[in-house]
Amino acid sequence: MSGEEIEKAFPNLQITGYSITSPATLEYNCIAWAAGESQSWWEPDPLSLYYWPSNTPRQYTAEAYKKAYENIGYAVCNNPAYEEGFEKIAIYIDIHGKPTHAARQLISGNWTSKLGQLEDIEHVALDDIAGQYYGSVGVIMKRPKEK
Amino acid sequence: MILTCPPYYYSNIEMVDTAVCRESEKMREEYTRMIEHYFLPISTQQSNPETRFLTLKTQWEADTALLSSVTEIAMHPAYQQIIGMGHTAIRLILLEMKKRPGHWFWALKSITGEDPVLPEQRGRIKEMTRAWLLWGKEHNYL
Repeated sequence: MSGEEIEKAFPNLQITGYSITSPATLEYNCIAWAAGESQSWWEPDPLSLYYWPSNTPRQYTAEAYKKAYENIGYAVCNNPAYEEGFEKIAIYIDIHGKPTHAARQLISGNWTSKLGQLEDIEHVALDDIAGQYYGSVGVIMKRPKEK
Repeated sequence: MILTCPPYYYSNIEMVDTAVCRESEKMREEYTRMIEHYFLPISTQQSNPETRFLTLKTQWEADTALLSSVTEIAMHPAYQQIIGMGHTAIRLILLEMKKRPGHWFWALKSITGEDPVLPEQRGRIKEMTRAWLLWGKEHNYL
């Protein structure tokens, strides 16, 4: 997808600025990418075709997604602002509370997002990609950064 | 646009697979779709499995590129119609997977009732693709 098409899907990006940071790939999705994983697609699909952490409910719910990230050390917090010594992620949900996307905070305080089956982008604020496709941020989580 | 060659010429073009990036492959697909649109009657488009598959695949890919949920990706009407093609779609899907990985696992499992992907390969798209291509060879689809 070209930058123009990305901006069409997420008009806020035109205002705040963003950069494409990877080629398009199917190797991983946003949920895996937020967890720091770039070798597999994380999905609680009902046919059990894809990877999903073993002790986590295979459900498209915010609770199940939180549990998936809790397995790797994250805990819910309520502030997306950058905090020294912590890594943060954000789970987006639609109007029904179903998870649609996840983003991970970078050391710069910006966020990295894998856009569906397309590229990774770096964007300034969580709201930059909120809207029609990903809904709004429903959960923020953080964990101590590994030294 | 002026096309001077007879329709059968365009509809039988063997496109050489030299795409080097997603954009050029997309252009190739759009070109094929355009040719079909201009020269193939709707009845032929519906009855020719290859053409039908390509049309549905192109529509499905365009509409689902930004989605991260395979369930939503697989529930797209075009994808469901590909599943509805039944066994006819298996070879077409496997040939497509040979060219470029895609989320075809749901369709293949739904049509065949099988799943050759090992538990430790789940989520690893390249390995999942390899497992299905091997299955396709073993079952004489490739």
